[in-house]
Amino acid sequence: MFPYILLTAGFLFAVGVLGVLIRRNPLVVFMSIELMLNAVNLVLVGYSSYLNSEEGQIFAFMVIVVAAAEVVVGLGLLTRVFRIGRELDVDDLDEMQQ
Amino acid sequence: MNGLLMALLILVAVSALGVVFAPQTIYSALSLVVTVGLLAVIFLVLNAQFLFAVQLIVYAGAVMVLFVFIIALLDPASEERARLTDPRLVLGVLAIAGICAAVFIAARNGVTYDTSCTHQAVSCMHGYRVGSGGGAADPYHTFGFPAAQVNAAGNVQTVANQLFHTYVLPFEITSLLLLVAAIGAVYLTRRTSTATGRGGAARPARPAPDDLPRESAEAPRETGERPLVTGGR
Repeated sequence: MFPYILLTAGFLFAVGVLGVLIRRNPLVVFMSIELMLNAVNLVLVGYSSYLNSEEGQIFAFMVIVVAAAEVVVGLGLLTRVFRIGRELDVDDLDEMQQ
Repeated sequence: MNGLLMALLILVAVSALGVVFAPQTIYSALSLVVTVGLLAVIFLVLNAQFLFAVQLIVYAGAVMVLFVFIIALLDPASEERARLTDPRLVLGVLAIAGICAAVFIAARNGVTYDTSCTHQAVSCMHGYRVGSGGGAADPYHTFGFPAAQVNAAGNVQTVANQLFHTYVLPFEITSLLLLVAAIGAVYLTRRTSTATGRGGAARPARPAPDDLPRESAEAPRETGERPLVTGGR
C-alpha cells in the first residue's frame, strides 16, 4: 500500500501545481497551495507509519502550523487588495514586476 | 484495511481535482474541506491519531472557516473555464502525469525506501517506536490498525514526548511564528490603511477614520493608480 500513498501524495501535489498554474483567482491559488502542503503531510505521515517512527508526524504538525500562519497572512493580504478596490486576479496584480 | 485506505486515496484524489476545476470559488473551498477531512481519516488509518485531531481542528475547523468567510466577504466572480488548448493547462496536465509516473515508478522500485526492511531488522527502524514490535505479519507494514498496540503506547503521548524533548526549540519557534502571523494579519486588515495613518497630511482630507471600506476604496482611485503595496508611505 505504501507506493499508492506516495502516488496519491504526488498526485495531490501535482494537482496543486496545476491549480497554481491555471487558476487566476488568488483564493483558489491559496487553496492549491494548501493542497500541496497537505500532499507533503501525507508523505510525512505515510513514512512515519511505514518506518514506525513518530518523527514524521512532528514535522507534519509543524507543516500544519506553518500552513495556518500562511493562510492568515495571505487572506489578510487579499482583504487588503480587495479593500483598495482592485480586482482579485493574479494576472492583474503585477506591480512588483514593473 | 487496505481496501479502506485505497478507497480513501481514490476519494481524496477526486476531491483534489474538484478544488482546482470547480468553476465557483465556494465549490473549490468545499472540495478542499472534503479533501482535508479525507486526509484526516487517512492519517487515522496510518496510526496518526494526534494529527487526525489536529488536521480536523486546524484545517477543517479554522483554516477552511477562514477561507469560506473570506469568500463570503469578497464575493469573487467565477472565472471562465480554462480552454483545453491553454498552454498552462497542457503543461500542468503533463506535469501531473510526469510527477505521478516518476513517484510511482520510484516507489515501486524502492528507490525512496528500503523494500527489504522488515520489522525484525531493527536497524532499519529510526526514531521512536510505537508499542512493541509485531511478528512476521507486521501490522505496521500492511497499514493495519493495531488498536491494542497503539493504545498501549499512546500516539499523543509519544508525539508529545518527541515534541517537548527533541523538538522543543522548533515548537517554540512555531509559537513565535503564529504570534507574528496574527500581528501581521491584524496589521494588514486594519480599516484605516497605513498610508492614511502615517502620511495622512499628504493626502486629501478624509471624512473619518471609521468610514466604510467601500468609501475608503474610492480614495486611491481618485489620487491616481496607487500601487498595491501601501507600506512604507
